[in-house]
Amino acid sequence: MELLLFRHNKPGRCTTFYEYRAEGGFAALRKGLAEYSPDQVQQLVIDSGLRGRGGAGFPTGKKWSFVPRDLPGPRWLICNCDEMEPGTYKDRVLLEANPYALVEGMILAAYALGVRHAFVFIRRGYETAATNLRRAIDEARQAGLLGDNILGSGFSCHIDLHVSAGRYICGEETALMNALEGRRANPRSKPPFPAIKGLWGGPTVVNNVETLANVPAIVLNGPAWFKGLAAIPEAAGTKLFCISGHVRNSACFELPMGITFGKIIDNHCGGMRPGSRFKACIPGGASTPYFTADHFNVPMDFDSVARAGSRLGTGGIVVFDESVCMVAVTLNLVRFYARESCGWCTPCREGLPFVVEILTRIEQGNGTADDIELLREHVRLLNHAFCALAPGAMGPVEGLLRLFEDEIREHILHKGCPFAGAPHYTGGADGK
Amino acid sequence: MPKLTIDTIPVEVPAGTTVLEAARKVGIVIPHFCYHPALGSVGACRVCAVKLLDGPVKGLQMSCMLPAQDGMVVSTTDEEAQAMRRHVIEWLMLNHPHDCPVCDEGGECLLQDFTVAGGHGIRRYQGRKRTHSNQFLGPHIEHEMNRCIQCYRCARFYQEVAGGSDFGVMGSASRVYFGRFRDGELESPFSGNLVDICPTGVFTDKTARFRARYWDYEMAPSVCPHCSLGCNTVPAARYREMLKVMARRNDAVNGWFICDQGRFGNGAVNDPARPRAPHIGGEEASWDDALDRLLFRIGELYDLYGAGCLAVVGSPRLPLEGAVLLPRLAELLGARFLSYFVTTEESTRHTTAVSLLKGDTVASQSDVRNSDCIAIVDCDLMEEGPMLALAVRQAWRQGAPLFLVGKHAPLAQAQAIGVEAVQVDIPEEVPFGIFDRPVIICGARHSTPATIARIMKSGTTPICLLSGPNACGAALLARQHGAVPLAEAIASGQVKGVIGIEADIPAELLEGVPLVAAMDWRPTSLTEKADIILPTTAWVEMDGTFVNAEGRAQRFRRVMQPGLPIRGQGPALHPPRAHRMLPPGNSIRPAWQVIAALLERLGDEPVSEPLGDEWERLRSLDPEGEGICLFTEKEPR
Repeated sequence: MELLLFRHNKPGRCTTFYEYRAEGGFAALRKGLAEYSPDQVQQLVIDSGLRGRGGAGFPTGKKWSFVPRDLPGPRWLICNCDEMEPGTYKDRVLLEANPYALVEGMILAAYALGVRHAFVFIRRGYETAATNLRRAIDEARQAGLLGDNILGSGFSCHIDLHVSAGRYICGEETALMNALEGRRANPRSKPPFPAIKGLWGGPTVVNNVETLANVPAIVLNGPAWFKGLAAIPEAAGTKLFCISGHVRNSACFELPMGITFGKIIDNHCGGMRPGSRFKACIPGGASTPYFTADHFNVPMDFDSVARAGSRLGTGGIVVFDESVCMVAVTLNLVRFYARESCGWCTPCREGLPFVVEILTRIEQGNGTADDIELLREHVRLLNHAFCALAPGAMGPVEGLLRLFEDEIREHILHKGCPFAGAPHYTGGADGK
Repeated sequence: MPKLTIDTIPVEVPAGTTVLEAARKVGIVIPHFCYHPALGSVGACRVCAVKLLDGPVKGLQMSCMLPAQDGMVVSTTDEEAQAMRRHVIEWLMLNHPHDCPVCDEGGECLLQDFTVAGGHGIRRYQGRKRTHSNQFLGPHIEHEMNRCIQCYRCARFYQEVAGGSDFGVMGSASRVYFGRFRDGELESPFSGNLVDICPTGVFTDKTARFRARYWDYEMAPSVCPHCSLGCNTVPAARYREMLKVMARRNDAVNGWFICDQGRFGNGAVNDPARPRAPHIGGEEASWDDALDRLLFRIGELYDLYGAGCLAVVGSPRLPLEGAVLLPRLAELLGARFLSYFVTTEESTRHTTAVSLLKGDTVASQSDVRNSDCIAIVDCDLMEEGPMLALAVRQAWRQGAPLFLVGKHAPLAQAQAIGVEAVQVDIPEEVPFGIFDRPVIICGARHSTPATIARIMKSGTTPICLLSGPNACGAALLARQHGAVPLAEAIASGQVKGVIGIEADIPAELLEGVPLVAAMDWRPTSLTEKADIILPTTAWVEMDGTFVNAEGRAQRFRRVMQPGLPIRGQGPALHPPRAHRMLPPGNSIRPAWQVIAALLERLGDEPVSEPLGDEWERLRSLDPEGEGICLFTEKEPR
């Protein structure tokens, strides 16, 4: 199949600026600035069917189109590289292999949006990616591809790299803007949406790394080509799937959007590890409800996965074999979210530690049948939290209740975890 | 104007009103913690859930974040909404200690109310409660972080409303902590409002710690006596001791808040050195003896030095009821001098300022809050009227620039409220012309009469801060009755006797004055020097009226029965060994009643209501209203 994002990758090292340019990199930028108006670039992205790769899958071109064209004052583009969802590492792999596609994509997006100053908000731990990106920005600037009057087109754009101080919530776009402004990283209430009133009150677009890295190829090869990359006609483009867990070959693959889940596991990951049998997986990052063996035929694109009761999310797949206790998995995930809550709203700040406490007592054999109903109440009511963190944290709990209620009941009935040798989580219930 | 239905009650509200506020309008209090009318809605606590049954929005919604829209059908009693509210309370109670019996907030605690109302009763969480260390936040405010329900009201007030930077929120998730980087006194001059604004017992008043329950307090609507702004308060007392002061909402004056000086600076009421009984020559005496003695001594004085060698002296802190009787007292005593102010400077500044007061053009605190440009001319708001600085900050937050004019307008006052200011030399440098609602502030402490007159007549809405809670009333009376400043009277050499009525007269001014009598509730240099002391009640021990700097008359009610506080009394006095109808130290009287008693002795009819003539309309003043502006024909909104 044709690679888009990993096309320029070199084994074991980062692509250089010269390699990227020699292989056709920045041709899209030249073409975009020379042949298209900003509106035409936006239209190309709308036509391509590109959807946000950060997890929500919102159509990228549509998001851009929400930015008012005639508002005075500066507008902003932010690349969200605060990749902290457990199980997700695609942006890191992408940037460690090739930071130039992102830079090129950001300049094109800035051109389409009329942005003169863009930011990359990068996770603190991504040191190699940050180094690459810094170098890529410098090289692009020195080559006249970034800065004032890019390629003589009259369009000017600057990119600044901001290293996060490091909380999961900073990946939430409005919390990210607060962090960038030097405030506490609490999410803001929506409306107003960032496209209308975002960073420093100006219209702001926040896109994921992978999303923006797709833009050059769309501009260069056209929307029809991009749509054709997908495995099914309803989807568009390729997707980075990063797999971890009990498979033979866990890595980050660029695969057609809409490839079936089973194919990823069997063909690309080489199946399960010897002696292991597939039990379940997280299909799209830690906040998505589980998939089981029943879901092997589900095409991995946003709509199909949603119809199957989960979310494609970031494409971060974590595979569990039959030795794994799903209560313990869920507890581990929710504990992460309880710790990473910003502490702003009550359901998230207090509700998540409560769920951790319930799951802990079930896992340790102190659960009662009432606890199942209590978990259900939390799944229902945590949807009414301030931002999407708490509802996301309830994804795996919802999956646990829907797919593995028997396993919970077994814990309760036998007053303990039935998985001998499985990891036991005995830490405090306060999310610390 | 959107029309909606809340629990089958039709409501029509102005556009932009939230569903929570709309419900409040028809008497439905939807539980809320993070929402506060002065701080707005932020959607943090999630307890104000309601269910929208029909209309443009459906399902469970947070009523504080939802603007009322036409056709909404809201249910506050829907099972789903109740379940959400019950759960929020349950979540908050995971960590909130069950220390209500020893918590000072008990009885006035929003969390207590809504926990009981919400129906959460049985604990299902089996984990341990998270605990925090508390901080020392100064001598006035007690910190108990374990009680925190993270509504963020304190941090929002402190940083956004008051502009403080030494207090805020730290940490994340269930470890968020509201405090300072390290222990230490809160720096904001408005820090005491944390006590009022906290919905539970994280911040409580140290002066009232472990002293009383809310239902034990003697309380009444009152007016702050500390400066000329007349902020509305609710003092609380028990066992004849004033324990604390809370802010009382008055949108035309102080809004929701008061300053720390007004809240914590009231120790004088409980001062054991307060005069509690009439004294003659240092010896306790009965009221009859003391009043007779005073008149006798005045007679002696007239015999010796000639009739009329007496000055009757009021003050800017004497309530209006006493102040209006002074001219008559001076007349009947045959005193040649009536004074309301001590120095010539103070007197002319005040009379100039009030002579130019026009009700429709003078700026109230509310006008300052809503202004779009502010100039402070030779005035330090931190000294002359701190709450005006808080009003300035609210205007500044909306984009109004602040100009500090002249060398007596220190930058520190702007720094204290976190406001950037432009310093200029003269008022003419401020570009008032380009603004719609500019306000100019000056003060009687540093501005000359000429400057005051120029500012009051400048066409820009002015406010001139005066020197006391009733300075405006005193200046009006001084003008009306041709009072002379005491210093001038004494300089004439004709004053051989001084009766000071709640007046602060420097001791050196009275050198060589043979007769000094003092009516006061505070121990002052005058009471120290006085041959005859007639003790009066403090403002919390009487009904009275103050006229603030904008000419707004406001009524305050008696909060507490006067008397020696029980606290601090030895076994000789408490518990009482003998039956008495009145508590010890009760025989003090409001100044106007003491004056009335003198008038009666001098042949007048008994005075039952001191506010007569043009003051008569103030008799019906509602202590819980916005007050009456003396300089407008129509009564205020």
